[in-house]
Amino acid sequence: MQFKRLAVTAISTAMLVSASGIQARNLIQNKGSDTLVNVAQAWAEAYQSVNPDVAVAVSGGGSGTGIAAMINGTVDIANASRKMKDKEVKMADEQGHHPVEHTVGFDALAVYLHQDNPATQLTIEQLKQIYIRDGKATKWSDLGLKVPGCSSDEIVVVSRQNNSGTYAYFKKAVLGKSGKYRSGTLDMHGSKDVVDLVEKTPCAIGYSGLAYATDHVKLACVATDDKSSCVNPSVASASDGSYPIARPLFMYTNGEPKGDIKGYMDWILSDEGQCIILKKGYAPVRAVQCP
Amino acid sequence: MFEATALNRRNDRTQALFRMLFLLMTLVLIVPVLIILTTLIVKGGPVLSVDFLFTSPTDGMTAGGIFPALFGTIWLVAVALLVSVPLGVAAAIYLSEYAPDNWMTRVINLAIINLAGVPSIVHALFGVGAFVIFFGFGTSILSASLTLAIMTLPVVIVASRESLQAVPHAFREACWNMGATRWQTIRKVVLPNAVSGILTGVILEVSRTTGETAPIMFTGAAFFLPFLPQSVFDQTMALSLHLFVVSTQVPGVPEALPYGVALVLIAMVLLMNSVSIAFRMYLRGKKKW
Repeated sequence: MQFKRLAVTAISTAMLVSASGIQARNLIQNKGSDTLVNVAQAWAEAYQSVNPDVAVAVSGGGSGTGIAAMINGTVDIANASRKMKDKEVKMADEQGHHPVEHTVGFDALAVYLHQDNPATQLTIEQLKQIYIRDGKATKWSDLGLKVPGCSSDEIVVVSRQNNSGTYAYFKKAVLGKSGKYRSGTLDMHGSKDVVDLVEKTPCAIGYSGLAYATDHVKLACVATDDKSSCVNPSVASASDGSYPIARPLFMYTNGEPKGDIKGYMDWILSDEGQCIILKKGYAPVRAVQCP
Repeated sequence: MFEATALNRRNDRTQALFRMLFLLMTLVLIVPVLIILTTLIVKGGPVLSVDFLFTSPTDGMTAGGIFPALFGTIWLVAVALLVSVPLGVAAAIYLSEYAPDNWMTRVINLAIINLAGVPSIVHALFGVGAFVIFFGFGTSILSASLTLAIMTLPVVIVASRESLQAVPHAFREACWNMGATRWQTIRKVVLPNAVSGILTGVILEVSRTTGETAPIMFTGAAFFLPFLPQSVFDQTMALSLHLFVVSTQVPGVPEALPYGVALVLIAMVLLMNSVSIAFRMYLRGKKKW
């Protein structure tokens, strides 16, 4: 039976290959926010050379996914671009998990426009009228704008899927506590998808982390109200709090971090870890000197 | 006496017309394949190199290679095959050789057809509920491969059953008449004659398993892992998910990179298929009828 021999060879080779690679290591499970996933990946990648005995496995899926996993106790560190709700903390407590919040950076939530869009500044009120249910702004002309290439004049409103932390934060910051999103928004499944779509669609407006900016889109200068002057999204304006829609980024651990997890969290908040988040386009938690 | 009449000529014209029409439609079929392959080779070809295949991604997945994903996909497919082939072939043998034609067999057949029609994302959620949470395998290669195995089981069963049934009944009768038992007949006569058809099922399964993303996304595949999986209880990166990640999740990826990943994914499927096809042709050559 040649087939049998072939199968046996294949299986034993696979076992040999895997056995030869075995080494002692401790695994940290890290899951959640799509906003943070690229920073989390960069941290995990860089941490290999800092502490080769610890490996960090990173998965995305959205803040909601990370928080749900924290509640189930299937992750060591959950990434979230929004705070855990009281209800969620209570659910985790009931399961015997005690989430502890760590602020690891700040993110300016940029408002993306097509590069031909003539808008220079937008106020929070204008954004609200664009995004809120039954809001007054449905056409660009409602905002006094004529967008080249957008013959229909309709505003194509781009939003995110509802388990996204970005979705939740934008809702709270722009639509207010009880505000609901307009129906008929295009809900994209990732920060990068929003920017990609806006880049190609003259009529569109969207929101995403500043880190996803490309050279082919325009970032709106955002003003708190008519009277104040607008602020451009940047790492600096997110850190000093002058940009109106900047948010903290969190990592949750189960209880105060201990052992390898503490080592990893401490490193993330060290100058080295904070320089990585800065390089990825987010604001660090404090001023750091980077090489 | 046999001169073509107007009717004959019209019939001939219609004949030629339909022939052309159907030929054109068949050609349309291969156009997408050609376009996909050329695009992938033109755009993804330049990034391919030995380094690309055998190094890990670096610089936040915007550079470096795809080795962990490639390695992970091989793991996932191998474990899924180890589960689904014995299970599927055994079920097919029962259904083809032993099962009486009664309501239970009909229910089983119906279940197989329905299982084949379940969308992959539903299999994924089933996998999360059953393997990840209920059996407590966690997000691991084992959970992902079991999910893939269940998803592809109907393909293996149906293909194996068809090829078992294609073995002429006279072969079995001849064998029984020599005093052989049912199991002896299956092992010495039916299976050897059906093995090329069974392989077809396996080929189809391999192609499908390699490319599936949804079933492994929640059950075992990770966005990034700084190590290679060392047992079936580890998570793994996988080519299909890696392609999704570099094309939609990571900013600043060079344009050629996702195409390179896609090219490797397709090449892997084609390679595995051609190995199996070659093996199958060899077996068929040995067939005596």
